[in-house]
Amino acid sequence: MGPAVKKLTVEGVSKVFRSRRSEVIALSGVDLHVDDGELVCLLGASGCGKSTLLSIIGGLEPATSGEVRVEGDLVVGPAADRGMVFQGYSLFPWLSVARNIEFGLEIAKWPTARRKERVEELLGIMSLNDFAGALPRELSGGMRQRVAIARSLAPEPDLLLLDEPFGALDAQTKKHLQDFLLSVWRRTGATILMVTHDVEEAVYLSSRIYVMASKPGRIAEEIIVPFGDNRGATIKRDPRFLDLRDELSDLLD
Amino acid sequence: MTATRGRRQSPLLRIRGDLDRRWRLGLAVGGLGLVIAIWAIAAANTANGSSLLPTPAATVKAIGGLWTDGVLSTDLWASSKRILIGYSISVAVGTVVGLAIGSFVSIEAFFEAQIGFLRYIPASALTPILLLWLGIGESPKIWLIVIGTVFFNILMIADVARAVPRELLNASYTLGAGRRTVMRRVILRHSVPGIIDAARVNLAAAWLMLVVAELLAAEEGLAYQIVRAQRFRAVDTMFALLIVFGVIGLASDLFLRWLRNVSAPWARP
Repeated sequence: MGPAVKKLTVEGVSKVFRSRRSEVIALSGVDLHVDDGELVCLLGASGCGKSTLLSIIGGLEPATSGEVRVEGDLVVGPAADRGMVFQGYSLFPWLSVARNIEFGLEIAKWPTARRKERVEELLGIMSLNDFAGALPRELSGGMRQRVAIARSLAPEPDLLLLDEPFGALDAQTKKHLQDFLLSVWRRTGATILMVTHDVEEAVYLSSRIYVMASKPGRIAEEIIVPFGDNRGATIKRDPRFLDLRDELSDLLD
Repeated sequence: MTATRGRRQSPLLRIRGDLDRRWRLGLAVGGLGLVIAIWAIAAANTANGSSLLPTPAATVKAIGGLWTDGVLSTDLWASSKRILIGYSISVAVGTVVGLAIGSFVSIEAFFEAQIGFLRYIPASALTPILLLWLGIGESPKIWLIVIGTVFFNILMIADVARAVPRELLNASYTLGAGRRTVMRRVILRHSVPGIIDAARVNLAAAWLMLVVAELLAAEEGLAYQIVRAQRFRAVDTMFALLIVFGVIGLASDLFLRWLRNVSAPWARP
């Protein structure tokens, strides 16, 4: 494995849903890549197949054709190297916050002491220390998503896949969690691929954006976001931010 | 006078409204009291009542009689033992097969036709065959309970397994869990309250099967005692035994509800 190997490459991925009466092409010839330490967004209107694409990358669904590689290895199914966060309802309701975060570590058979250490670390990063013993149903929607992110980060995945993780949250919580994600990304150096339909979110968070078009789902454009890693809320008033946002909004229509 | 807008909600007849404890208790006692009152009046007005319809007081006395005769210990235990063994087998098989059907389409396809057919055969119609095959000992009674309830348990528990949110399965897979871990730590775990609920609902069918078996062939048991009491025209004893059935049913229901809350506090309403 040389330095030229990408963290994630998707080549010619297509997905066709066949039923007895009809055939729907959900994805057609998708190519994309994510470099080590990048935060990339997949932006598209609902129904463009972006979540299907993320599921294929996660190994949860097979592609009809094409291939997905992580660090050069062919993806054939789900594993802990590609952590995933879903829109909601994915925490184990019978496990406390700490035990939810610990789940992947138990499966990976980390020794107890290291497990406790890692859980403590993540509780700290996610500002969840006071809620270690709480059950998911006792938490707000925003906090649940923080736990879900911590849980997927715990086993140190090569790649973090986020499927509209803030889609079900109110505007204020969403903003808060976006900043949170940026700080987690900076602190951990994680490689992140995030699906969203929110233009502003994509521009605010990512260094690159793949814009998707529908019928059939495909990559319509690749956009480089011209802000550095150390961005703050002030970039939302930058004229380039506003231009980019409007341009992307037009693309989605 | 001030005009009002909207319709005032009635405290008692509000759809899905709340009710305070005292009202709740009062209505429950009132409901039970009404039944007993109707019974008492009917018994008092029945000619030759003591041989057809006993009074509540006579029935309570007969319950005392059951206790002193040892019926409440030997026959209640004989019946309960059959239920415990038979229904435990039924719930265990229902859990294993139900969770497998609800989790794997292949297993569902394998069992679909047979269970779809078998569950429409009234289990009580099998009693003569079971007696023929297994004799008149304990095993035909136990197997009748199993056959009479296991298909309901399987089908209901399969639905419970299907209700496990896909997000939980996907989250487990992307955390590195394999099929075994997902079955044990996610599907089984998530299904515990649903399995107990299914067991609660179908327990009534287990008692039904027990009675069928004991009415036909038994030397001890609650239903056997009802048949015996009929021979002596002891209606008060028959009523006392019916009440014993009701009390056991209620007690086991309360126990299973308690078990559900203790074993799955996260699923408490």
